[in-house]
Amino acid sequence: MFTFATDYSIGVFVSTLGILQLAFSVGDVRGLLLFKSRIVARTLGIVLAAGGFVLFFSTGTRNINDYEGGLDAPTQALFFFLGASAAVVVTLVVSSIVNHRMRGPEAEPESGIDSLRDTNYALSLARSLRYWWKLCLRR
Amino acid sequence: MEVVPEALNGPDTGLFLLINGFVGTVPILDRLAKWVVSDYLMPIVLALMLIFMWFIERDREVRVQHQLGVFVSLTSMALSSATVFILNFYYFRPRPFVDNEVSMLFYEPTDSSFPSNAAAASLGLAFGIWGVNRKLGYLAIVAACLYGLARVYAGVHYPLDIIAGAVIAVPVTYLVFKLRDLLMPILKLAIRIARVFRLA
Repeated sequence: MFTFATDYSIGVFVSTLGILQLAFSVGDVRGLLLFKSRIVARTLGIVLAAGGFVLFFSTGTRNINDYEGGLDAPTQALFFFLGASAAVVVTLVVSSIVNHRMRGPEAEPESGIDSLRDTNYALSLARSLRYWWKLCLRR
Repeated sequence: MEVVPEALNGPDTGLFLLINGFVGTVPILDRLAKWVVSDYLMPIVLALMLIFMWFIERDREVRVQHQLGVFVSLTSMALSSATVFILNFYYFRPRPFVDNEVSMLFYEPTDSSFPSNAAAASLGLAFGIWGVNRKLGYLAIVAACLYGLARVYAGVHYPLDIIAGAVIAVPVTYLVFKLRDLLMPILKLAIRIARVFRLA
């Protein structure tokens, strides 16, 4: 039903969702976890990471030359970027909703993802952008 | 121009036929090899390792090193691949299935067999990861080596093609690590911008 590139992007999307949850649980970035329990987050991460591959490889013939319907390297890189970016955006949005009660103290401006240990992404981003916007206006 | 000398060609073909000769003996191994040899599995695994490496470190200084490592790995992969591309202008080695009776588990590529672009690019990326995170790096190197071995098993490359790919990836990655200071202001700026968006 889908094209090869769509199947590829969906597989990458699912696997990236998993890898992100695994990375955030290892890195203790609680504001980006979809589940509070680290064990659940890690299990979900592993299942999704592997699931993306199973989904891609079990739904069609994948060893195809690029001129016969497969993807050449630049196209593959483009669709990987699209799938992975979509997974990042979905993680940021869903984790902000799920963790809307996580409202930690204001972190230092350059703290980056360290600020997401006790604050949800939307709030942390809003604080960061507000700080940098004010700084720009002052200059 | 003859890059692979006749003296090496014989043993190389012999070793190739020995490895490829196992195709068909263990069906599950063939099925696994079809996945591993694919253009998609190992490249995605290695790319996901980069995403993982970007976020896992709790210590900020170490995290910055990891994030710089992601840029180094990608550069090293691209330059290793570019080196193979340039070499292919000067030397073309036919794929093993052209001159031998081969059991194929993969489609028949038309580009040069020597050196292996898949091995050079994946090992370039893996060595880049190894340069900043040993544990993850060893995993990446094992993944890249499996990818190379699978390509011999599946009838796509001679063993020497894979070794040549590795020989290209090692100095290229070393050079990229040595020269990364030149790009450091741009890389650090990119990380700082990502930090404003709480992504680094």
